[in-house]
Amino acid sequence: MTTAFSNVTPAIDIRYLRVDYGNFVAVDDLTLTVPPGEVFGLVGPNGAGKTSTFRVLTTLMEPTYGEVILDGVDVLEDIESARRIIGYMPDLAPVPKDLKVWEFLEFHAAAYGIGNRSQRRERVEECLKEVSLTDQRDKWCKALSRGQTQRVVLAKTLLHRPRVLILDEPASGLDPLARRDMRTALRKLAESGATVFVSSHILSELAEMCTSLCVMNRGRLLASGTVDQVRHQLGNTNRMITATLLGRHEDAREWLMTQPAVEEVRISGHQVIFGFTGTDDAQADLMEGILALGIRMRAFEEKRSSFEDILVEVAESNRRP
Amino acid sequence: MNANASTTRPVRIHSWNIWSNPIFRRYCQSRLRPRGLGISLLITVLIAGFIVAMASSFGVRMGTDPSDAARHAIPFLLAVQGILLFVLGTAQVAGGMVAERDEGVIDYQRLIPMTPLAKVLGYVFGLPVREYVAFLATLPFTAWALWKGQVEWRWWLPLYTVVLSSTLLYHFTGLLTGTVVKNRRWAFLICIVLVFSLYTVIPQMAKFGLVFFKYLTVMPVVEESLPIFFSRSTGAMITAMQRLAPQVKFFNLDFSEMVFTLFSQGGLILTFIIMLCRKWRWSESHLLGKIWATGFFVWIQILLLGNALPLIEPGDLFPSRGFSRMARVMRDIEPSRWEAVSMSGIYGLVTLVLIFVLAGIITPSRDNQLRGWRRARKQGASALPWLADATTSLWVVLIMAIAGAAGWFFFTRALVESRWFPGHVVPWSTFGYFTAVMITGGVGYQALLETKGGRAVGLMTILVGAVPVMIGAVLASISERLLPTALWLIGISPVSTPFYAAGTLLSLAELPAEAARAVPRAFYFWLLVGGLVVVWLIGRLRANRREMARTVLAGPVDAPPSVVH
Repeated sequence: MTTAFSNVTPAIDIRYLRVDYGNFVAVDDLTLTVPPGEVFGLVGPNGAGKTSTFRVLTTLMEPTYGEVILDGVDVLEDIESARRIIGYMPDLAPVPKDLKVWEFLEFHAAAYGIGNRSQRRERVEECLKEVSLTDQRDKWCKALSRGQTQRVVLAKTLLHRPRVLILDEPASGLDPLARRDMRTALRKLAESGATVFVSSHILSELAEMCTSLCVMNRGRLLASGTVDQVRHQLGNTNRMITATLLGRHEDAREWLMTQPAVEEVRISGHQVIFGFTGTDDAQADLMEGILALGIRMRAFEEKRSSFEDILVEVAESNRRP
Repeated sequence: MNANASTTRPVRIHSWNIWSNPIFRRYCQSRLRPRGLGISLLITVLIAGFIVAMASSFGVRMGTDPSDAARHAIPFLLAVQGILLFVLGTAQVAGGMVAERDEGVIDYQRLIPMTPLAKVLGYVFGLPVREYVAFLATLPFTAWALWKGQVEWRWWLPLYTVVLSSTLLYHFTGLLTGTVVKNRRWAFLICIVLVFSLYTVIPQMAKFGLVFFKYLTVMPVVEESLPIFFSRSTGAMITAMQRLAPQVKFFNLDFSEMVFTLFSQGGLILTFIIMLCRKWRWSESHLLGKIWATGFFVWIQILLLGNALPLIEPGDLFPSRGFSRMARVMRDIEPSRWEAVSMSGIYGLVTLVLIFVLAGIITPSRDNQLRGWRRARKQGASALPWLADATTSLWVVLIMAIAGAAGWFFFTRALVESRWFPGHVVPWSTFGYFTAVMITGGVGYQALLETKGGRAVGLMTILVGAVPVMIGAVLASISERLLPTALWLIGISPVSTPFYAAGTLLSLAELPAEAARAVPRAFYFWLLVGGLVVVWLIGRLRANRREMARTVLAGPVDAPPSVVH
């Protein structure tokens, strides 16, 4: 369950993390390393332990057990240094109602000790530009739309140039355009060397946004790696294959039923549809086999379960007693 | 983006530099906007102006001396300033802090790399900044009244020094309430009740020997300065009456009201700052560490004794002499024996309640303990550090119980063996019983809390602390024949034990015949039962801790620990 890399200090190094609330175990023995410059996704249904993990990473909560090292700093031993490294954007991204956008950002710039007043203003403008909100700088925070609020908080998170960005559901409430901008901004951050640890319920988007990800459920880490590695680790390699034939459908069905890794073969019009759990090579052999029988094939299509489907399946299977 | 991080060195924000404090400046920005501030200032200036104008015009109409007329305005201006700073300011601090948490922005503030002290000071001066400005707006009117009324600086300076120190004390109370209490409405309510009770309930405790509590308010200094703020004839009368009131004494030392009030409030403010800084560093920290809690307890005991003991011989400590002072000034009223017994009981009860409060603060929850043991395991240790939050508070509470019993004993002995009750002595064996009472109540509470948790303590408080007293009171009111039964029932409650101890152990106690039989028996019986329960609870506590330590420490250090539930 560890993302492998060599000779580089991990940006995020979590070892045996455990968070208890009374008798309830929110995070159970989580071990994870994330190299610098990655956009790393944390996926899981409600109650998976994502927010508890984030709160420990951001020094907002002391874990029951375990170690968290961010960019070489142990967050439990050296809180002040850890806080300089972290940029945190919480879920629902709250903003104070009594401040204007620029006031909110300038307050945080000052709190992080960013230069003098003109340097702070300059940095605030840079961050506003980065989230495309320059025209909203004089607006009251309470008057912002949900998406704009998210972006203001992202700008606040970027102010002190954190080396590790921890973003809890950053894309929620954003329109498609803003989501695309957010994706681009996060990738740019990762390219500049920052590490982005992001959680989301919009799983397909997380898959697009992240260089690697991990899946948690009921406090436990189920899989981590690239999207394909995660799919493989979760044991979901199922795909539905549709072969459109120009005749001899029954012959094809009978032959398919004798092949390994083929399931539930049925005929629908000109098509023979079946489930397949074999490897990509075995799938190619299957196509050749049908043609070798002398059956003329017009099309051979596969449909894999979406990442979303896999996670729903994981969550459902964990829910069952 | 990241490349510049190492080149820009962050500017350090010093805690003492309040003008550069970003939290303070943030509230200056939001709370001093022209529209909101303008209305506040308009109302304040109108009221202050009205008071001064009324005082002057009333003086002209009555033909009084202009300086006397100007002085009449001062108490009213003081009341307005009190409302602004004590009531509105404190509410703003408590409410503002809870609002930060409600809105969720407090997490941002937790993460900003400022020292906990800088954050605390930023909030305590920033949240009520509008009230401070409104207070400043009343000062020209006050200055005019003081100048016109020819009030010397030696009168108004101590008063305003104590007004400001009280303001700080109440604002820290509000900040602490807002930080600890989760619900905005509750925080606001608790805060107002605290400030209100400081002016109503707490001063009443001073009448029963706990003089120290009145120095948490501005009242002693106001009373001292009062005569000068009235016209000379009224002032002279008040001065004459005040000469009969007790002077501030601390053991053998004499203090001015201002110095002693500052001393009392300063200790409490410092304790609040420690509490808040601990909470800002780690939100799960105990409000006080074990050493500080013990020190605070001993400090309160010393203040209680230091204020009370010098007032016993002149008789100023006794409520009856206090009440009768005004009516029968010249007569030397002898305090009654039951007064002394009750005062001893009240001292014991207040000490016990203080132990409950501090034990509640420093006793680790099960999660705390588990965290501590796992941290010890991570560091390769086989025991918890002595003073860590996760370490049992049993020994600390035991020390407090013994210290509390000592304070109670010295107070009682000074009271009983004073010139007012010749021939009565308090033997040293009483100290043993007082210690047993404190240990049964205090350590029992601690052991129950640590072993079974807050819910069990809440349930026991109702079932053992309150219900027997309520049933006993009902029975006693039905018939005198039921009095012994009622006294036995009431004796179950740890709250009643200090009174039973005083009633049983002091030769001064003159109880009615039936009570004289029931009270001592109930006291000794329930003390024995309580003692046995405490021994059992301590046994459970030790067994639980051993079991938790064994399970967590088992296995190699670099592997995840076993699950403990």
